[in-house]
Amino acid sequence: MQNTTASKPRDYHKQIASALEDSFLRRALDKFAVEYRASRDAVFSEIDGAAAIKRIADMKDGAAKRIEELYLQFKTEAEKRGVKVHRAADAAEACRIIAGIAAENEVRKVVKSKSMTAEEIGLNDCLRKAGIDVCETDLGEWIIQLRNEGPSHMVMPAIHLSRGQVADDFEKVTGEKQDHEDVQKLVKVARRELKPKFHEADMGISGANFCIAETGAIAIVTNEGNGRLVNTLPRVHVALAGLDKLVPTVDDALAALEVLPRNATSQRLTAYTTFICGAGPCAKGPDGRKTMHIVFVDNGRTKVAADPLFSQIFRCVRCGACANVCPVYRMVGGHRMGHIYIGAIGLVLTYLFHDREIAKTLCQNCIGCGACKDVCSGGIDLPALIREIRARFSKEDGAPALARMATVAMKDRKIFHALLKFMRFSQKPVAGRDGFVRHLPMALFGKHGFKSLPILAPKAFREMWPALRKHHEKPRMKIALFAGCAQDFAYPQHLVAAMKVFEAANVEVEFPMDQTCCGLPLSMLGETASAKEVARQNVAAFAGKYDAIVTLCASCASHLKHGYARLLGEDAAEFSSKVMDFSSFVHDRIGLDSLRLKPTDEKVTYHASCHLCRELGVKDAPRAIIKATANYVPSAEEECCCGFGGTFSVKFPEISAELMRKKLANATASGAKSIALDCPGCAMQLGGGADRQKLDLRVVHIAELLAAAL
Amino acid sequence: MIDDADVSELFISRARAVAARVSVVADETAAESLVAEERRRVGEANVGVARAARGIAETGTCVVETDGEEQRLATMLPETSVILLKAKDIVPRLGDVAGYLRERQTDGRISYTSFITGPSRTADIERVGAIGVHGPLEVHIILLED
Repeated sequence: MQNTTASKPRDYHKQIASALEDSFLRRALDKFAVEYRASRDAVFSEIDGAAAIKRIADMKDGAAKRIEELYLQFKTEAEKRGVKVHRAADAAEACRIIAGIAAENEVRKVVKSKSMTAEEIGLNDCLRKAGIDVCETDLGEWIIQLRNEGPSHMVMPAIHLSRGQVADDFEKVTGEKQDHEDVQKLVKVARRELKPKFHEADMGISGANFCIAETGAIAIVTNEGNGRLVNTLPRVHVALAGLDKLVPTVDDALAALEVLPRNATSQRLTAYTTFICGAGPCAKGPDGRKTMHIVFVDNGRTKVAADPLFSQIFRCVRCGACANVCPVYRMVGGHRMGHIYIGAIGLVLTYLFHDREIAKTLCQNCIGCGACKDVCSGGIDLPALIREIRARFSKEDGAPALARMATVAMKDRKIFHALLKFMRFSQKPVAGRDGFVRHLPMALFGKHGFKSLPILAPKAFREMWPALRKHHEKPRMKIALFAGCAQDFAYPQHLVAAMKVFEAANVEVEFPMDQTCCGLPLSMLGETASAKEVARQNVAAFAGKYDAIVTLCASCASHLKHGYARLLGEDAAEFSSKVMDFSSFVHDRIGLDSLRLKPTDEKVTYHASCHLCRELGVKDAPRAIIKATANYVPSAEEECCCGFGGTFSVKFPEISAELMRKKLANATASGAKSIALDCPGCAMQLGGGADRQKLDLRVVHIAELLAAAL
Repeated sequence: MIDDADVSELFISRARAVAARVSVVADETAAESLVAEERRRVGEANVGVARAARGIAETGTCVVETDGEEQRLATMLPETSVILLKAKDIVPRLGDVAGYLRERQTDGRISYTSFITGPSRTADIERVGAIGVHGPLEVHIILLED
C-alpha cells in the first residue's frame, strides 16, 4: 500500500498543494461538509446528544482504567463459547497470529470486511506475503484495494475518488466496458464480482466495533451486509480489535450505538448491526461449527490507558466525525490528514501508534478550531491532545525558531511591547493610511499574499488610555478591560468603540497597565512553561476588585477562561470566573434594552469565531446584538473557521487562504455589506482578504456596530 | 419522547424512512398470503423469510435471531427479505432491547443476533446512496397487529 503522508514538511506542503488543485476532491469534500452538518443535526435532534456522548466518555474512561480485568473477563466468556482469544503486543505479533491461524487451517483465500485495526497492523501485506489471496469486500475498501491505496476516510474510504475513476478500475478488473456515470450500475458490478468470493473463501476477517466483556460477544456495525457474509460463509472467522474496543456490558454497547451511526453517517442505526456471541453453527466447519478467533491488538494501548491525558483516546468509536467537520480535512482530504487513521484522531493516533516523524509534521496541520471536539462521539478534547503532542515534540527536539523567538519576546511584557513599538516605527515607509501595509510588491509575500496585512496602529490603545478613561459617579458596575495584543496594537478602534458602549451603559472601566499577551500563541506553539509564566503575570495584573474582566478578543477570552484553568489550576480560579467576552457582557450583563439602540437597515452578516462559538459556547448574544443594531442576514456556515488560527496561517498559508476565500464567498453571497465578528484575529484574516479581493464588504467588530447604533 | 401508544406508528415511519416496505396485517393467515404473493412476484428462490423477535421503533429496526446459518442466510442472500414482526414485540428505543439481548448471551449461550434496519446500502461511490450492495435489495416487513 502506498505510504501516503510525507514526513518531511517540504514534501508535505507539495502534497497539500496537489490536493488543493484536485477540483473533484474539493467539490466532493465541500458538498460533504455542508450536507453532513445538516443531516447530523437532524438525527441528533431526536436524542439528548450531550448526555449520550457523556455516557460514552464515562463508560470508556472507566474501561480504560480496568482494561486487564475486562480483557480477562471477555476471554473467559468467549472461550466458554468455543472462541479462541489471542492478544498481540504489537502489529507484527498480530499479523503473525493471524497468518498462523490461516496456516493451521490451510487457508488459501480470505475475504475481509472493513477493519481500521487491520489497516493499522498492515495485515493485507502480511497475508499476501504468506501467499494468501486477500479480497476486501466493503465497496470502498475494495475500490482502494484495486488501486493499491489507503483509505482517505475511516467510514468512506474512497471518498476521494470520482465515479469515473471507479469505472476505470472496474474495467481493469472485469475486462469489460463500464458505465462511467451510473453509480447504481457500478454498485451492481461490485455485487456481481464479489459474490463468488464470499463462497470461495476459507476464512473471513472482520473488525469489531464493541467487544462486550460480560458475555464475550462482539458487535459489528455495517451497512452493506458484507460483514455478515464474511463472518458467516467461510469456515474460519477471525475478528480483529484494539483493546480499546472492550466495553463492560451489553447496555454500554447499545448506549454507544445510539451515537456511533448518527455521528458517522447520520443514520439512526446502520442497516446491519450484528452481535456474535460464541462460535455458532457452520456447515463447512469442523463438526459443523465455526472456527472462530478474536485477536486483540495492544500496539501501545495499555501504555496509553495509563496516561492521564491521552487515555481519552479510548473513547474513540471510529465514527470519523472529527474528519467530517474538520476545515483542514475538507481542503486537503484524508491522505494528507492522517496516516492510517484519519482526521483529528488520526493525527493523535499517528503519534501514539505509528510514525513519530510523520506525526511531527502532521500535528502542525491542526488549525485548533475545535470543530472536532464539538462533535466527537466520546467528547475527546482532540485539539488539546494535538497541542500537547506539539509541546512534547518541542520539549524533545528543542523548539523551532518561531517558537523560540516568540518565547523570548513574549515572556517579558516590556521587551514585547518595546518590540511592537519598534515594529510600528520601522513599518512607516510601508504603512498605508487605510490601515494596511502598502507600497510593497506582492511578490515579496509569496504564498502569504492572499490577504493584506494590517499595520500597527499609530497609537496603541494603552497609549490612548489616559485620554479615554472616564470616571462615573455612580457606576452600575466596575470592570477591567483585557485588551489582548492584536487589539491593543493593531485594532485599538475596537476598544475605543467598546469604551463608548461602556460609557453609555454607565460601566466604569479600569485598564491594568501590567497586562500582557494572554499567552495563547505560546500554548499553540507548545511552549507550556512560558505560557504559564505569562498567565501568572496577567492574573497578578488583574488582582483588583472587578465585577468582570471583559475582553473583545474571543481567542483571549477562551484562553483566559479555560486555558488558564488548565495551566494554573486553582491559582487562576477567581480570575477565570470573572472573564467574559464582550458580546456576552453586553447582552447578558448590561442588557440591550438599557442601551436604547437606534438600529440601521444595513445588511450585516456574522462570522462566529471558533473560540467564541465552540470553546465558550456563545452563539446567541452576538447575533442578538446584530439584530438590535442592524439588519441581520445569516450566511452559510457561519460557524466554520475563517482560516486564521494564529500561527496556523503562517505555517499553512495555502490552506488558510482557501478557508478565507470560502468564508468571504459565503458572506458575500448573503447579500450583506458588513460582516461582524468578535475577534481581532478573524478581523485580520477577513479584513485583509476582503481588501486584497477588493470586495464591497466591511469587516467590523460587534463593538463597532454597537457604538454606531448608540 | 416516545409515547407508548405511538410505537407501532413510529416504527412504520422510521422503517419506511430507511427504504423498508411495511405492510400491516391482522393475523398469521393474512401474513402467510402476503409471503406467498411475494414468492409469486419475484420467484421462490429470491425470497427469504425470517421472524423478528423484537422491533425497535425509534430506528425502524427488526431484531432477528439468526443463530443458525440457514436463518442467517435467509436474511442475506435472497434479493427480497421478508421479515414478520408482531406489533406487541416493538419497543420504543434501542436501549430497551438490552435485557433481551443480554438474556440471549448469558450463561454460556452461543447466539448470533441481527439488527436489520432496511435493505443493504452503500454510499461509497461519491456518497451517492445505493441499495442492495451485498445483501437484499428489498426488505419487506409484515407487521402483525394481533
